[in-house]
Amino acid sequence: MAYGDDATQLVIESKRSQHADSLLKYNDHLVRAVIREQRDLEKLIQAALARLAPAAPGDDVAVTADVVLYQTVILRNKRCLLAYHAHRLDRLKDLYWSVGGALPLLLSAPTTAVSANAAGDLRSRLSPHEVDFLRAYNDSLIDFRSGVIDTEELDLFAQISKPPKDLHVLVRVVRDCGVIQTEVGAIDFRRGQRFLVRRADVEHLIVQGYLDEVS
Amino acid sequence: MVYLPPPHLASETRPSYGEAYTNILAAHRRSPLTSASSVIMLVAPDVDALCAAHMLATLLKHDDVMHRVIPVSGHAELEKQRDELATYADLHTLILINMGAILDLPSEDWFGGFSPQLSVHVIDSSRPQNLSSLFGGGEIGERIVIWDDGGAERMEEEQKAWEVLTFEPEPGSDEDSDLDTELEEEEEDEYEEGSSTGKRRSLDMFAARLEKHYMSGTWHGQSASGTIYLLATVLERIDNDLLWLAILGLTFQYTTSRISRDEYDKYQSIYQDEVARINPAPAPSAMKDGDFKSQNPDDRSVYAVDELRFMLFRHWNLYDAMYHSSYVASKLGIWKERGRKRLTGLLAKMGFSMQETQQTFSHMAKDLKLGLRDKLDQIAPEYGLVELTYPSFTRCYGYLSQPVSASDAVEAVSALLDVAGGVRMEVEVEGARNGGEWFGGGHVWEAGGRENNSRKDEDKENVLIGGVDNGRGKDKAGGEQTEELQWWVKNFWTAYDALDDIHQLKRALNLSMSLHRAIIRQGTSIIDKQDIRTLRGHRVVVLTQGPDLALFAHPGVLSRLALWLVDALRDRLPGSVVAGARSKRKSLPFIVACLNEKEDTYIVVGVTAALDFGDVRKNEFGLAFLDAKERCNARTRHGSFDTSVIEINKDDLRVFLETMCETGDR
Repeated sequence: MAYGDDATQLVIESKRSQHADSLLKYNDHLVRAVIREQRDLEKLIQAALARLAPAAPGDDVAVTADVVLYQTVILRNKRCLLAYHAHRLDRLKDLYWSVGGALPLLLSAPTTAVSANAAGDLRSRLSPHEVDFLRAYNDSLIDFRSGVIDTEELDLFAQISKPPKDLHVLVRVVRDCGVIQTEVGAIDFRRGQRFLVRRADVEHLIVQGYLDEVS
Repeated sequence: MVYLPPPHLASETRPSYGEAYTNILAAHRRSPLTSASSVIMLVAPDVDALCAAHMLATLLKHDDVMHRVIPVSGHAELEKQRDELATYADLHTLILINMGAILDLPSEDWFGGFSPQLSVHVIDSSRPQNLSSLFGGGEIGERIVIWDDGGAERMEEEQKAWEVLTFEPEPGSDEDSDLDTELEEEEEDEYEEGSSTGKRRSLDMFAARLEKHYMSGTWHGQSASGTIYLLATVLERIDNDLLWLAILGLTFQYTTSRISRDEYDKYQSIYQDEVARINPAPAPSAMKDGDFKSQNPDDRSVYAVDELRFMLFRHWNLYDAMYHSSYVASKLGIWKERGRKRLTGLLAKMGFSMQETQQTFSHMAKDLKLGLRDKLDQIAPEYGLVELTYPSFTRCYGYLSQPVSASDAVEAVSALLDVAGGVRMEVEVEGARNGGEWFGGGHVWEAGGRENNSRKDEDKENVLIGGVDNGRGKDKAGGEQTEELQWWVKNFWTAYDALDDIHQLKRALNLSMSLHRAIIRQGTSIIDKQDIRTLRGHRVVVLTQGPDLALFAHPGVLSRLALWLVDALRDRLPGSVVAGARSKRKSLPFIVACLNEKEDTYIVVGVTAALDFGDVRKNEFGLAFLDAKERCNARTRHGSFDTSVIEINKDDLRVFLETMCETGDR
């Protein structure tokens, strides 16, 4: 197998995930294989350097060519690995925002209506490091909200693509979400019923896909 | 005084709809907790209730009243809802639409035990109403508000009788408004003391009066949507949308034989005035071939037109429209070869070639369309078709669609309500008809709209969850079960959305056509095979097989079949016309039962046949069913609010029918 094939596989996987608009399972096996390849390559470089004539290092053209080739492959593999992971992190961040920053929902609940196609049983498709990343991302966002912006009014997760036109919103229930306590009383959202409610009270439920707005 | 008279009877001291609505608003704004759990609408699944709920929701939305709409299928479900509602602390207004009039709402069983801040508004077209809801005063009675259509004004006798019997001080009986116990006590008392016979007799008279009120059968008053429309009139918030919904409610009542032609005419003339008031008079150019054309892309106006009694004829072809209309069917005897010949004969006499009449109506030759009404007027009477038109309304939808007539819209909506989901239906693709069977004339109906998209989501979810090998089958099964429970709720919302979505409505027209095809198919085969048995003054049809069995297991569809049979056979069966004695004509009530294979039950629908077309008689089946049930101990269940629909265990049907017919003999 030629050098760099595994890494190319990883990039192809990213591309597939991009086209299919879904997050594939973290390919631990392949990533490890690439890293192993890197180590092997490094050993080869070391060996080649050792073979290099100590007297006139620049003269041995064959050995220098070897080293340059190995070096190129290593750099390429590294780029592929970085691309693969960067792509996954981007997707994770997108998912995180699409559910309105509800991390527990993203990690525990197997599905939400909004991200049903992308996030179905997300946890099992993540590597432990990615879960850590999500947590850390969440934490820093909370820090940012409380510390840097220092205001409670600004809802970072509110939709900006569709600014609200009305104080109230007519919603139908996509999934049962139990009794919700709002400022003006408790509402028990049940499937098969429709509600006219204050937008501010249920904004997060709409974003998370429990409720659906009836235009 | 806890029933509301219609606005024209209102005065200073008698509040009417407007005041009741203001009270709802006031209660909402006054209460500290105004979440969507405080104003709740319970809606019965029929077209009229749907329209009314839609109108009321619009009004409430304009007033920023947060509310919640809950579809309720029947009495059992209503009881469940009541138990749940009891747990809501901030509930202050409950609106029952097309349900609950017959229930003894002030009693402890219903809303008597609820917190005193709750007021229950009943907007129901079904009659008779429960007298204690209607007249009961006091702490609890004041909270039950019946929106009446003025019928209660004429019930002075009943009121008096009820008052006498309820407030009659009786030893050993606490004040009990329940009718049955009251009557029993009456009887017991009679045996005990014979002294004050004069007083007794008058009490008996009152009791008899009440019995007559409750036992004379069910009928229908002003449509719920009509009531809301009156409310909107009082509030001066009428627009074409509200008017159109009110018209749909009325048309629904008429086409399902809930109200008589006279009643229909009464309300129709009111709406006609309203239509003229709101809409600019149509330009003469608009009135081309008896139908209006939209004048501009945003033309949503409503026009009054005479509607032909052909089924969906603007969207079907002429032949099919006539063939599937119950009026034409009954006059021509369409289920026999001879009847069909008469139909083609009629068309031939009018100068319509077979080819033209098989053409989609909008593509029919222009001159034929223009002359259709004239020709029908000239020639149809020869075939006994004298009442081919009735006054109705049409609404324009800009350039989105051909104008849709009220009856077409009602057909479409009620088809959605009955069979949008839960049943597999084939619909014909437009234009595929003459391609022959080779190209497949139809495809399976798939309801679009919000509710059904969500179902697709769920399916997806199920697959994803079940992706782990063996979990799959179980998850799927579980998912399907909940689906099954909910099909009517989905249909409810699909129909609800279709009320203001013309695209949905247009798609539903095809569904309605399939439905009518199935009804005619079944009806024809029933008559052909002579499946109608006459049992002691009842005509009984029992469906146990056929391609559409699953379809007719829906009470709504089964009632349509029953109505079609009634219409079709009105003048045809022996027994309805007694030879020589015209005055003694009597029509036999119809019972249609259909096997529900999944549940091993029979759905039974009773329809009282009126003597004349367009006439309506009180439906006595609700009580007859109950009576028969008690006497034979059949395992039955009332699934819906319509008391003349009952579900019977498979094994009990025979004995039930026998008992039923004996009862009818009395």
